[in-house]
Amino acid sequence: MDFSDPWVVDRLRVLAVKSEPAEPSPGDTAMLEGLVVSPDDDVQMVLWFACLAESADDYGCEIDTAAMESIMGTDLEQLSNDEILALQEELEDAGLIGAEPYLDPSYSFPADLLDGMSKEERQEGVNLFIQIAAVPQGAATDSDIELAYKRIPVSRARTPNDNPEIQALAVDGFQLAPGSTLEVDPGETYQLDPVLADDAIEDYYYLDSDGEWEIRTEEPYFEFYLQEGGFDSWYSLYPESSVSWTAPVAPLLEQQTIWIVVKDRRGGMNWWTQTVTYH
Amino acid sequence: MNAFLPAAFFLTRLLLAQDPTGQVPETAAESATQPAPQEQALTPLLREPELLDFFQAPYPDEARSQGIEGTVRLLIEIDETGSVSSVEILEGAGWGFDEAASEAASHFRFSPAEDERGPVPVLIEFEYGFQLAPDEVPADTDNSTDTAALEPVNLDGRLLEMGTRRPLEHFPVLLDDLPEIQTETDSDGCFSFRGLSPGHHELRIVYPGFVALEKELEIQEGERLSLKLWMRNKSYGDDEIVGVYRRDREEVTRYTLDINQVRRVPGTFGDPIRVIQTLPGAARSPFGTGLLIIRGANPEDSAVYVDGIRIPLIYHLGGIVSVLNADLVESVDYLPGAYGVQYGRSMGGVIDVHTKTTYPEQRRLVWSTDILDSGGLVEGRAGKNDGWGFAAAGRRSYIDLFIPLFTGDSGMFIKPRWLDYQLKLDRLDMDAGKLNLFLFGFDDILQVSTPADQAQGTDQDTQGDLATRYGTHRFTLNWERPLGRDLTLRLAPSLGLDIGELGFGSDMNIDTRDWMLEIRAELPWKPSPAFSLTPGIDLIASYYFFDVGFPMDPAYFWEEDPLAEREEWNLEDHGLGLGPDLYLVSELRPLADPERLLITPGLRLNYTALQNGYSALSLDPRISTRWSLLDDAVVKASLGLYHQPPQPFEMYRPDGNVDLGYEVARSATVGWEYESEPALSLQMEIFYKHLEHLLIPNWEITSWDDPFFKDNGVGRVYGMEFLLKREQVDDLYGWLSYTLSRSMRNDDPQGDGYWYPFELDQTHILVLVAGYSLPRDFEVSTKVQYVTGNPTTPYAGGVYDVDQGFYWPYQTAQYDSERLPPYWSVDLRLEKLFTFRRWQMRAYIDALNLLHGENPEYVTYNYDYTESAYVHGLPLIINPGLDFEIRF
Repeated sequence: MDFSDPWVVDRLRVLAVKSEPAEPSPGDTAMLEGLVVSPDDDVQMVLWFACLAESADDYGCEIDTAAMESIMGTDLEQLSNDEILALQEELEDAGLIGAEPYLDPSYSFPADLLDGMSKEERQEGVNLFIQIAAVPQGAATDSDIELAYKRIPVSRARTPNDNPEIQALAVDGFQLAPGSTLEVDPGETYQLDPVLADDAIEDYYYLDSDGEWEIRTEEPYFEFYLQEGGFDSWYSLYPESSVSWTAPVAPLLEQQTIWIVVKDRRGGMNWWTQTVTYH
Repeated sequence: MNAFLPAAFFLTRLLLAQDPTGQVPETAAESATQPAPQEQALTPLLREPELLDFFQAPYPDEARSQGIEGTVRLLIEIDETGSVSSVEILEGAGWGFDEAASEAASHFRFSPAEDERGPVPVLIEFEYGFQLAPDEVPADTDNSTDTAALEPVNLDGRLLEMGTRRPLEHFPVLLDDLPEIQTETDSDGCFSFRGLSPGHHELRIVYPGFVALEKELEIQEGERLSLKLWMRNKSYGDDEIVGVYRRDREEVTRYTLDINQVRRVPGTFGDPIRVIQTLPGAARSPFGTGLLIIRGANPEDSAVYVDGIRIPLIYHLGGIVSVLNADLVESVDYLPGAYGVQYGRSMGGVIDVHTKTTYPEQRRLVWSTDILDSGGLVEGRAGKNDGWGFAAAGRRSYIDLFIPLFTGDSGMFIKPRWLDYQLKLDRLDMDAGKLNLFLFGFDDILQVSTPADQAQGTDQDTQGDLATRYGTHRFTLNWERPLGRDLTLRLAPSLGLDIGELGFGSDMNIDTRDWMLEIRAELPWKPSPAFSLTPGIDLIASYYFFDVGFPMDPAYFWEEDPLAEREEWNLEDHGLGLGPDLYLVSELRPLADPERLLITPGLRLNYTALQNGYSALSLDPRISTRWSLLDDAVVKASLGLYHQPPQPFEMYRPDGNVDLGYEVARSATVGWEYESEPALSLQMEIFYKHLEHLLIPNWEITSWDDPFFKDNGVGRVYGMEFLLKREQVDDLYGWLSYTLSRSMRNDDPQGDGYWYPFELDQTHILVLVAGYSLPRDFEVSTKVQYVTGNPTTPYAGGVYDVDQGFYWPYQTAQYDSERLPPYWSVDLRLEKLFTFRRWQMRAYIDALNLLHGENPEYVTYNYDYTESAYVHGLPLIINPGLDFEIRF
């Protein structure tokens, strides 16, 4: 088998999606952000839709394709503000909650979303499905569009979740600050070890199946993506956090990016973007 | 005084068994008063006829007066009662010996020969010897004269069979081609000559079935020459194993193959049970699975028995070889469908393996080694008067070390490891009935890993390799005792343990232990050749224990919320399961010639219960018929109802609330058989099977209160089977098997279900097997196989589930709407038999997938389902092997 490696970003991909707050309460507004990457930086538009779990299936929200087509076929630059507002209203009716770069995605949860539920059910909450359609420049067919979805838990939890934060990346033990560039030797192998912020691993309450409260601790793990080179494993298994990365022997790119996504298995996630150059 | 050699060459072997070609000699066929029975003769005998009353023939006067001795070779037909029904002279001796021997033999009385159905008519060869008392031998006979007798022995020797070291008794030893200088070997194979003149002599020993022995000798004056001579049997093994693939006589379909041939079919690793996959109705099992796919049935719908006791698997994990040592297999009943009520709890096919019941007088060690495994068998007789036969066998594989070399970069690896053992004791000195004890089992491990570049998620709880361990152990007793002239009791209790362990990653496990008690008892009553009635009980009782552990509550799977908190989930339970099925089967032979028409009606009462409250009851009426329209053609047909209880995991719920009955198959077949003496036979059968109440997972489950399975699936299987077979009457043997079939399923015929092909549906299955015996004990054989590719479901792309790190694939067409490319394979085997004085060795080379190389077995996808590739089966493999056999 000679399949493309899942950690190699050789086409438009949605690697992660986060909500802020990570676990909103009814009445909150969640600001959404996606890690949408493309080797050619050719993302034309990222459309965001939302639906509650009860109307989602294995593929996420059922997207109103007519809505998608109407926005993809419209030159928004040519529209007046009123026309844009009218279009936005039409799209919102179809579940659209964002259309980057024109409309940042967000979602305001109804205040009565959990009404009628028991206290325990409200603490457990429900999921909102966020559907992302990343459209590359010149997309000709539906198969050119990268689709992804993510669940946003909405609850009255005793300890609402926060997104974990990667505060640094340690390379062979040396920590890199955010925004710094990593210089490496082609063909060399490096140990990549993301460093989480002190409060990234949270303790939280969980009402177990016996009706007893437990205090649990998160078990985050990391996914690693790049443009060139190879990993010994492209994701870590808790409590491990590091992987080995071997830089390409003959890099095709003068500069490449390594993306590291952290997920806390409760819906919270975040990422680190590392620029790499070669000696 | 007359002397005689009453047991000289009492060749108590069936002619057909003795004849490697399987032919009935023409003279014998003509003389048989019963249509004797070619079919019967092909059935292994459980008991050979024994001479009870010998009748002494009068010595012909003229021969006595001339001092002439002689031996008459007779063909005697013995009927079901042990009486002699006909005598034919195969080789006369003249001088009135022929008439005297023939008349005397007609008064013999034997114990009847028996196979599984009871007494059967047989043909035997018998040599009736006439020998004068010493005082009657004329004084002028050359080497026997009183003068010669006074001479010292100056040539003696011992004659042994090559490879087996068995003393060869009653072999004529001839010197210088002069009949007057002739003697024969005694029971130790010894012979001697007295008073031979010094000088050059030529010794010659010729005996049917053996390579003639000729030797030049120099006798020195005053010296005694002692020889140790070896003769080579032309047909080794024929006296050891008379196994066939066959079906019980009352069954509609009977596929018969010589087990000595099937062990030489390339690509089967010498495993006679694997050869089933070359027969009609049996679909090809994908590499590494060992699935039994018979007439379009799910693998779990077919049942496997060893000596009538059901076991869970017939192939070791990995599916390469069966769980029994090949040298222990005497015969295999392969019943693809339309079988009788003796078999139940299954809707698919049945395989009933029968282990050997005959044991060599001289102990034998067989050891087989190839790239898969190595194992051996030792067998013989022991106890007072050699009253017990024993066989002990064991085997262990090492293919797990080699498989990575073959699979190379195919990504996925499957590593099986198996071992098995068998110990059997048979009481041989019972006057009537039979008794044997059999302990056997196997213990297998199979590991499967998935490479990182194939579709899988990053969820920590779903990481890891799949590891399976499966073991079965059984101790069985087979006891049979006549209760009178027409009534027999057969009792076969068995105790056993089935062990299953399935692990995925580090946190998932399913462990099961099932203590099994199985009892099969029958009381066949046959008051006349035209009628028999057999009531029976087929009881299975189990004490089950299981332990299932998951890192999350199974509710996780139907809630499909990866963000939900997970609790380790464990379920342990134990209890009793019971299936005391009863059956009643009759054989009706209403025509004057009972062999012409056989009608076999039967009724089976099925009952299944678990301690947790599950129970189900059903009734299976079945009827089949075989009608010999002509001497060489048979028309056959069957109708039957088959109920199958749910699998254990399907009928279990913690709350016991399972509202599922039996799965049901309604089967009908019609076909015909034609035999062209002596070599060719042709069989064809058309079948249709309607399936109802098939269990399917309930995908709409939302809580523990919902049923796990629904029983509204239906199916239909129909097709045609064809077998053209050539027996090995000369150097060529082989068969051509073709199956045309379609097996369809519909999970929800009342709702929005649609018909789709069964996952292992194979439209065309064509297998050609041929072998050719070459000079100097070489043999070449080949197997050519063409099979339609299995159905597959196409995917193209998917939606990324960010929380779980994997893509949900898009199904681009209906389930199972596409097929893999056809499977083509050509296997070749070359073997040579080396026969040494004390042992034999069979060396062979199996070349598998000779022409086509790797065949697509599965479709696999990359992480986002945008790329696909075939997972191929084995490439060209050269499998050298050695079989050793030594007598001691």
